[in-house]
Amino acid sequence: MHAVRVSHVAKSFGSTHAVVDVSFDVEPGEIFGLLGPNGAGKTTTIRMMLDIFRPDAGTVSIFGGKLDLAKKRRIGYMPEDRGLYKDLKLEPTLVYLATLKGLDKRTARSRLGEWLERFDLAEHRQKKVQELSSGMQQKAQIIATLLHDPDLIVADEPFAGLDPVNTRLVKQILEEQRQAGKSILMSTHQMYQVEALCDRIILIDEGRTVLYGAVDEIKRSFAGNAVVIEGQGDFTHIPGVLETRKHNDAWHVALEIGTDPQAVFRTLAARESIKIERFELAEPSLDDIFINVVQNGAAKLEANHA
Amino acid sequence: MRSLWLVAKHEYRRTVLRRAFVLVTLAIPLGMVALIALAISVAMMSENNLPVGYVDKAGILDVTRHATLPNADERIEVRAFPDEEAALAALELEEIQAFFVFPSDYPNTLETDLYYLEEPPSNDVWGDFSSFVRVNLVATYPAEVRNRLFEGPNITVHDIVSNREFSESSMINVILPFVATFFFFVATMSASGYMLQVVAKEKENRTMEIMITSVTPGQLIGGKTVGLLAAALTQLSIYVIAAVVGLIVAAPRVEALQQLTVPWAYLGVMALFFFPAYALVGAVMVAIGGAVTKVQEGQQVAGILNLFFMAPVFLLTVIFKNPAAPVVVFLTLFPTTAFMTISLRWGLGTVPLWQIGVSWVLLVATTILMVWAAARIFRAGMLRYGQPLNLKTAVAVIRGD
Repeated sequence: MHAVRVSHVAKSFGSTHAVVDVSFDVEPGEIFGLLGPNGAGKTTTIRMMLDIFRPDAGTVSIFGGKLDLAKKRRIGYMPEDRGLYKDLKLEPTLVYLATLKGLDKRTARSRLGEWLERFDLAEHRQKKVQELSSGMQQKAQIIATLLHDPDLIVADEPFAGLDPVNTRLVKQILEEQRQAGKSILMSTHQMYQVEALCDRIILIDEGRTVLYGAVDEIKRSFAGNAVVIEGQGDFTHIPGVLETRKHNDAWHVALEIGTDPQAVFRTLAARESIKIERFELAEPSLDDIFINVVQNGAAKLEANHA
Repeated sequence: MRSLWLVAKHEYRRTVLRRAFVLVTLAIPLGMVALIALAISVAMMSENNLPVGYVDKAGILDVTRHATLPNADERIEVRAFPDEEAALAALELEEIQAFFVFPSDYPNTLETDLYYLEEPPSNDVWGDFSSFVRVNLVATYPAEVRNRLFEGPNITVHDIVSNREFSESSMINVILPFVATFFFFVATMSASGYMLQVVAKEKENRTMEIMITSVTPGQLIGGKTVGLLAAALTQLSIYVIAAVVGLIVAAPRVEALQQLTVPWAYLGVMALFFFPAYALVGAVMVAIGGAVTKVQEGQQVAGILNLFFMAPVFLLTVIFKNPAAPVVVFLTLFPTTAFMTISLRWGLGTVPLWQIGVSWVLLVATTILMVWAAARIFRAGMLRYGQPLNLKTAVAVIRGD
């Protein structure tokens, strides 16, 4: 049974079409990435999934059916903008939110103690939420999401505001949750986190699905659209190239869809100011794929894959 | 149901522990006590206890009769002077605060002259001296006539419909509903204002998203309403306890308070109206909070809508002048003004039973309708995140379009 099945949902606000046609499934025991540029419709899709918005068209199925109160208790939701009571103390706030999810107070307190220790927030438990730093508030929000041990975790930008140490901790926790068989839907702009964590992704742009599938398969299908070059000289301003980045001693060159790597090689070889020591096809990063797909647009992508 | 109580308990604790709530709850009774204490101390400080003199050319006053007045020891002392010169000398020496001159034709003209230096005698002094004159004027009549004339009339109005009595000696029972109206008003408005703030703020800072993925909108709004109602009742209870303690302390010293009887009928009727009236205000605030995107916008709209609840305050003079005027009857029956109007009218006379009955039915029906509409508007407001719900859309939402 799918943890989540979103099927052809659409949502408009007046004349603005926030989501036009988005479909995806989230399976138990996987981390699923919901990606897209700003304004693509990610948050609207999440809100439709959680019945905060009702879709104008399409259907949403959670744990095999309509979202009811019992199913809501099996969900841990972390909105993009932190949604904790700022004028209340941390511990009672988190206990209260956990009791709303069905936990009794004693269990909530006991579990909370462990989470606060793990996130290094134990000594701040009696502080008001607004007195905590933004990183601490983000960690508190993550605790609020996980405290009731949900089966489905929906996290909108879970790494926002976290330092590298805490980012690693959150990644570790998400991996633990996956291993425990939980379904995790994660929306983020940090592509390297998606690459490191997600099993499958959906990329939406202008309210439509433009990429959907396993991360490895998507990367393989885009191989050839990037090359790695080592050598001496300036490797920028190459025709047919989308973006050029220098990392360590190597140049990572993302090609426009339809650009032949051999043509790029020939162009570079013809330049006398350049000395090529290494030229190889690179598996593109998700970052490259993201930029490529979004900048070239869905129509061009479809034409290329046709 | 568990979720509703959890939300209610949380909202109650959050409300009563707020600094603003504690301040308002304590400040009003303490403020009243401070004002009364200030008024008493100012009155005491400005009180002039020097005797009052008189020159009796008509031969009608006997200074020894002063002792026959009730509570003579507590009344202002009077002194007789043979002529104006002697009285004036005593006045200049500040042995007396003023003196009256009764001319020889006083029994025909009933006119006297009053002499004082800077301040005229206070009303209490006037009253004491008048009593002294009265007891002298009726001294020649038989005892029973004398007592009757001295005490004067005490008219008691019996209302045959409500079986209530109104008399000068029980004015405190007339004033009480006005004081109670004020306290009801403060408690209801502060709690409902907070309700608006809570709903709009939680929507603004996205706490509502977390809540709505944990409980149903009905549990959320129901819990908040119950919690805030409990907070309002806590505030009222504190006011009532403070008032009762104040009365117990003050009654032995203030004669008017000894006439006070517990207005059970009034309290019963007001309790019947308070709960639906409170729920109506709360539902209106939920609807506003659900429709707007910013707390400030909500407060602006609520400020206008509050006028519908406060109209009786602006029309106080009309209510005082004629409690049965058509406009007052309209305010009695109109759901948003029913609570305050009935409370105010109670102190002035009788509110016909049919008006109380019809008003209550209309209030309860409107409240049920408003709670239902508020839930729809709140839900629609959630669905239109980031966009305020205008009046046209709100009406369409209520109609189910």
